[in-house]
Amino acid sequence: MNFFHRYCGKVLKASLLVALLSAGTTLAQDYSSMGISDVVTSADRMLQRGDYGAAIPALKEVISRTAPLTDPQGMETAQTCRFQLARAHYQMGDVAAGMAVLDDYLANEPRAKERIALRMMAQGFFDTKEWDKIEEIAARLLEFPDLEKEDLYNANLLLGQARFRLEKWQEAVEPLAYAAKTAKDERITALCQIMIVRALVEAENWRELFGWIPKIYRTDSKYDITLNLTLMKAGKVRFEDDDYLNALLLYRMVLPREELLEFSRKRERTLVAKLEKDMKVGITESVIEERQNEINDLKESMKTLSDLPAYEEEVTFRIGQIYAEVKRYWESYVLFDKLYNNDRNSEIGEASILQSVLILYDVGEYARAEERILKYLAEKPDGLYARTLLNMMVRDNLVKQEFNDVVGLRASVEGLPAATSADDKTLQSDLHYMLAFGYFQSKDYKSAGEQFSVILDSYPESNHASDSRYYRGMTYMLQADYVNALNDFKGYQAANEFGEHISASLFREAVCEFGLENIPESEAAFTRFIDKFPDDVLVSEAYSMRGDIEAAKEATNEDPHTLDRALADYRKGIDKAFTAQQASYAAFQAAKVYKLEFKWQEIIDLMQYYMDRWEEKADVAESVFWIGQSQIELGQVEDAVVAYLDAIERFGNDPLQQGVDKIILELVKVSGYHLSEEDREGLAVKVKLKLTSIDDRMEVLRLRLQVTQALLQGEDIAAALGAELLESGVKLELTTPASLSLMCDAAVDTGNVEEMGRLYEYFNANYEESDLLWHAYRAKTHKLLAAEDNWGVLAAIDEAQGLFGAEPFMAWAQILKADTQFKMEKYEDAEKDFNMILGVPEWRGPVFAEAMYGMGRCRLAGGDLETAHSFFQRTYLLFKGYADGDWAAKGYLAAADVLIKLGREEDAVKTLQAMLEDEYTNTNPLAEQVREQLKKYGGQS
Amino acid sequence: MNKSILNYALAGVLLAAIPVQAAFKATLIMPGDKSWEGSIVGRDGDWIEFSTGKSPKPIRLGASTIKELVFDVNIDAEKLAEMKRNREFERIIAALDRAIAPFAEYSDIPSNLTKYNALLMELHYKTGNFDKSLEISSKIADDDRDPDLQEKSRIYQALALIDAGRADEAEALLTKYGWDQGLSDDAAPEKLYITSKLMVLKKEYSNAMELVAKVIAFNSQDPDWMQPAELLCAQVYTELGMFDSAEEVIRQISLLYKNTNEDDQAQKLKIRIEKLRAEQELEKSLEAENT
Repeated sequence: MNFFHRYCGKVLKASLLVALLSAGTTLAQDYSSMGISDVVTSADRMLQRGDYGAAIPALKEVISRTAPLTDPQGMETAQTCRFQLARAHYQMGDVAAGMAVLDDYLANEPRAKERIALRMMAQGFFDTKEWDKIEEIAARLLEFPDLEKEDLYNANLLLGQARFRLEKWQEAVEPLAYAAKTAKDERITALCQIMIVRALVEAENWRELFGWIPKIYRTDSKYDITLNLTLMKAGKVRFEDDDYLNALLLYRMVLPREELLEFSRKRERTLVAKLEKDMKVGITESVIEERQNEINDLKESMKTLSDLPAYEEEVTFRIGQIYAEVKRYWESYVLFDKLYNNDRNSEIGEASILQSVLILYDVGEYARAEERILKYLAEKPDGLYARTLLNMMVRDNLVKQEFNDVVGLRASVEGLPAATSADDKTLQSDLHYMLAFGYFQSKDYKSAGEQFSVILDSYPESNHASDSRYYRGMTYMLQADYVNALNDFKGYQAANEFGEHISASLFREAVCEFGLENIPESEAAFTRFIDKFPDDVLVSEAYSMRGDIEAAKEATNEDPHTLDRALADYRKGIDKAFTAQQASYAAFQAAKVYKLEFKWQEIIDLMQYYMDRWEEKADVAESVFWIGQSQIELGQVEDAVVAYLDAIERFGNDPLQQGVDKIILELVKVSGYHLSEEDREGLAVKVKLKLTSIDDRMEVLRLRLQVTQALLQGEDIAAALGAELLESGVKLELTTPASLSLMCDAAVDTGNVEEMGRLYEYFNANYEESDLLWHAYRAKTHKLLAAEDNWGVLAAIDEAQGLFGAEPFMAWAQILKADTQFKMEKYEDAEKDFNMILGVPEWRGPVFAEAMYGMGRCRLAGGDLETAHSFFQRTYLLFKGYADGDWAAKGYLAAADVLIKLGREEDAVKTLQAMLEDEYTNTNPLAEQVREQLKKYGGQS
Repeated sequence: MNKSILNYALAGVLLAAIPVQAAFKATLIMPGDKSWEGSIVGRDGDWIEFSTGKSPKPIRLGASTIKELVFDVNIDAEKLAEMKRNREFERIIAALDRAIAPFAEYSDIPSNLTKYNALLMELHYKTGNFDKSLEISSKIADDDRDPDLQEKSRIYQALALIDAGRADEAEALLTKYGWDQGLSDDAAPEKLYITSKLMVLKKEYSNAMELVAKVIAFNSQDPDWMQPAELLCAQVYTELGMFDSAEEVIRQISLLYKNTNEDDQAQKLKIRIEKLRAEQELEKSLEAENT
């Protein structure tokens, strides 16, 4: 860097000499013979002429003569000549000689020109780069009292520069700041400012630095290449020291290279032009050299900058990183966005898209993040960060439980190029693992299993591999593919002795064995599990399931205590439960076992124990239901009714308390079977009173009480309520299984297909475990029937039967199944299905008649008229009392038709006559039709 | 000291010579840039009476024919700058108002008073007197003699409308000047800033945030717009509930722009954030209790 200061040689006026020296001119050759006045006069003339070289011998002569003098005038003359001699040496370019003389001058008295002498010394040291000396001189200069502004400026400038060169960074700032403030030359101001910034950076005085920067950035100093490189370097150091705030403030002041170069080129042109112009006018060599040096320095810094590898993008990237680091996310985002848009294919561009997406996730702009990812994937499926970005998107959706969105990305995951590197393989297996969970949570277990298989087959080294085996086992198990599930669970256990899922896999193994009906193996596995993991979260369930196995065993003489063992397991199930649900299962299963043994008081005690143990988390309504049932059996009907009503009132406004719905149905049953007419009326009044006094906000309870009231009044009233609810468009969130089942039935009765679907969906989604869910399945089946979707009907019925089997209320399913098979002209299957009905004693009633009649239809359709006749005959012979004789009448008519087809018209007539004689059928609406028919066969009636 | 007396005294500091007589020393510039030194003697409707001092009677000129009047307003610019640095805005306004008041009769004629009006426009805005700022800026915005000043006045027009909560008018103004278009990364910082402020007014905080982030990210060496943009940035982060981010910006404002209006406002914002945080904590603890 160039040194600038104003050297005012002309301050040294000749007036002093004029005052001292009055003699005329003398030739310079031999001053020793001349009188001192002549020598002085001679020197003065030569100095006046600017002939410094010639003046030197004369001045030396005067000094040699006056130096020993001690009188004031003599000393003053010697000192004046020393000063002039030094000046002459400077003018002649012999700075060293000049400085030696100045040394003498400064060592003697008087020193009228001390300040100038010091500055000249400083100038000399400047040339020899003796900065410590300059510092000393400048400091000495500043000690002078009453310094002129100009002197203050010069001294500070010298001192600042010297300290700067001596790397006394902090100490350099004050004098440089003074010089910058008072300089009249803008170039000097600029250079001082630049030195200040550098000094403050080196001194790490950030606070003061950032005070200077806004000032500097209002000037062209901001284009100084050295300044920019200094800031960039300091920013890097700060960044690497994790000092993000200072790094950021330094980095963001760095200007782009092209902007700096453009400015510098312009400046170079200006400097060169000015130099050329001034040279034509005439300027000294030293000025030329100084200017040329300035130009050269500028060129050099431009070259340094040009030679640097491209830094703009790296700096921008780093600024973006810092902004993100200090949580200024949006500033970071726009920078990365720009970098990416500038060059999408460069490494930095690719890294920028990744960073920008990360930030969008940080600030919760999920839709934008996903949009960017999908766009990037579409543009560059083989992009550097394609897998990483997709990973982020899948993970985010998984965390947010947006499982449909997770599985929706399967095509993108599968569209990625094959993973070859270890990192890519890790990412790819992550993706399949997350996809698998997306499917798993969406209950698409088949697809989930496929994804787990991808990991097991293609990424066996992945850290997800062992977990994948366990979870694939789960997917098999949940699809009832117990064989494959068992393989995976056993495989997992074999390979992961201390694996995270080791206990769960043993538990599931037992479940699978149960599913495969390998009951002894299942029981053994449950026992192993209980022994090995007595404190596992699943141990309660293990006890309960082993209890189920024990309860299902026939007691024999050899083993009469199966139920006792079952009860012991259920008790453990309650004690070891981690959740109320686990305890509830065990408790209510135990209640069922006690019921088998008619141990009503034990049920009451168990329910009390369960409620005490789980307090507010217990399923109190269900417990009350069991207590009530037991009380009824113990003859405490009144207590049971009171407890039921109380439970309805206490828990009835919570739709999730499904025990309330059970209580309602039980209460209705109790009312029908155990209460006197008077008590029934009393109960109805109590329910009515509760309904009238209920708080308007208790909407769920109100609906439950309405259902209770309707059911107590009979099936027709209940059906009417169902239709009314359907019609009124009651909000589904107020409904519970009791009301929903009435509504489902009403939808079927009125053929409201839309409601059938809607109610099924809501019922199934919210009360999947309800005993009344079959009403929803019935509605769904009728919806499919209306759509003539026969396969759908069969699937729905299979599902319903899978859940409810041959419960008394499930006859409709079997009838519809057989009817559908018939429609599909699968007569043999249909007949089998009809026949199956006759094997379920709980279904005895009109359904039996319908089944028998149906079998006849199957045979008739298959052309087996004799057997068909036989089935029709059995219908009217065996089931004439059902459905007001409807099925018997149909049987008579169908049998007569078959006889006619067989050519046995006489028998047909007899059959029809028998129908008219039969007291069950002769008043049936079909009887009139028969009478008309008989007229055709001879007027008999 | 009584405020008006103080202002009066201050005016004395600022203004070496306040004309108190009816005639004002002025330079008259006519179209074609021909000019005369002299004084304005008075005004008679649309006619201006100007005396060069060379003839006994003043000449009469149509006000609309005058290109510019350069009044001799001797304001101590250095002192003014110092007071501005010290943020003595109210005092400067009072002093400038006094200085300009005598020339009010000629305010419809372009003059060198525009630069003082521009300063008043800026100071009224800074002191929250948006209507007054708008009144001045709207006048300057129609004066095309100095394109830079005209642009600046338009900016203050928009800012005043936004800060006065007049979103529709601000939006119409931005459309009129075409500032609502092309708000890319390379857009001028003032356009990004103003549009961001408008978005804040419309409570479109994410959009506002992105725009002001562009001012900061792409104009970090801009000495004029960085300072207000940083404050706006902290405000928008606060509105978005990103308190950590807002506090980080406030820290930077304190470091870089100590003793500025922005720093003062940032400190107030910091207190608001502390309050919001406390409320948030309270809500959280209540929620936790409820669950």
